[in-house]
Amino acid sequence: MTDQALIIQFQKGDSKEGAFTQLLKRHREPVFFQIKKMVLEHADADDIAQSVWIKVWNKLDGFKQESAFSTWLFRVAYNETLNFIAQKKRLKTHTTQNELDHSLEHPSSQNALKETTIQIKLERAIAELPEKQRFVFMLRYYEAFDYEKIASITGTTVGGAKANYHQAIKKMTSILEQA
Amino acid sequence: MNDMNDMENESISKGLEEALKSFEAKTKQAPLGYFDQFELDLMQKIKAKGQAPQKARIVNLFLNERKYLVAASLLFAIATGYLFFTKAENTTTQIAKVEMIEIETLPYELIEAHVNNNEHIAEVEWNSAIETAGTNLISSNN
Repeated sequence: MTDQALIIQFQKGDSKEGAFTQLLKRHREPVFFQIKKMVLEHADADDIAQSVWIKVWNKLDGFKQESAFSTWLFRVAYNETLNFIAQKKRLKTHTTQNELDHSLEHPSSQNALKETTIQIKLERAIAELPEKQRFVFMLRYYEAFDYEKIASITGTTVGGAKANYHQAIKKMTSILEQA
Repeated sequence: MNDMNDMENESISKGLEEALKSFEAKTKQAPLGYFDQFELDLMQKIKAKGQAPQKARIVNLFLNERKYLVAASLLFAIATGYLFFTKAENTTTQIAKVEMIEIETLPYELIEAHVNNNEHIAEVEWNSAIETAGTNLISSNN
C-alpha cells in the first residue's frame, strides 16, 4: 500500500490508527535520525520526534497531497527541530555547543575516549553551522534527497539549498584543516 | 548556473568524508526496541489527547463571534434606552397637551366662578383659623 493510499484511508476515517501506524513504521527511522543529527542528544531527538508525529496525526486530515508525504513530514520535522533549538538557545541550557564544549573539556568522559580529535572537531564544526545549512547538508549528504525536495522542506530555492550545502562543506573543511 | 554545477561537483575531502562516516555511525544509534516503544508511547499520547474533554470548542465559537456579540449588546442597549426615553417623553407631552386642551376649552365664566369659589373657601379657612387661635389665647389667660 502506498503512502497516498494510507493517507486517503486515514482521511476517510477507515482504520485511522492502522493507516497512521503504517506511515509511522515506514518513516519513523529516517525522521528520527535526521533530528538526532541536528540535536545530537537522544532524549532531545525523542521529544522532537514525538511532537512531530503528534502534529502529523493532528494535521494529516488537512494534508492535500500536493507534495509527497515524506517531503511534508520532513518539513514538519524541520520546523519542530528549529523551534526546539531556538527554545533551547533562549533557555541557555544544554545547547549543542555546550555539550560539545563539555566533551572537549572532559576527555575522560566515555564519548571522548572513543572519539578521535578529528571527530570531535567535526561535531564542533557541525554545531557551528547555521541550523538551516546543517539541515540541508544532512538531507543531501546522508539521505541523498534531491535539491528540489530539500528546497521544499526548508522553504528555500533550489539555488539556495545548493549554496547552503556548498557552504556547509566549506566551513567543515576549513575547521578540520585547522586541526 | 555554472557556479551551481561547480558547487555540486565539488568533492568532499577524504578526511571530512571519514569524519562524516563516523559521525553517522555515532548518531545512527538507538537503544534496542526503541522504535517499538516509541510507537507505543506515541499512540498512548494521541489517545490520551483524543479522550481529553474538549471544552475549548464552545469557548472558541464565542471568541470568534465576540465582536458581533459586543456590537449586538451595544445595539440592544442603545435601542432599549431610546425606546424608554422616547416613550416617557411622549406620555408627559400627551398629559400636558390634554391639560392645555381642557383649560383652553373651558368657558371663561366657569374659570371665574372656580376662582371666586376657591377665594371664598380660602377666606373662610383663614377666618376659622384666627378664631381658633383667639379662643385658645382666651382659655390660656383664664
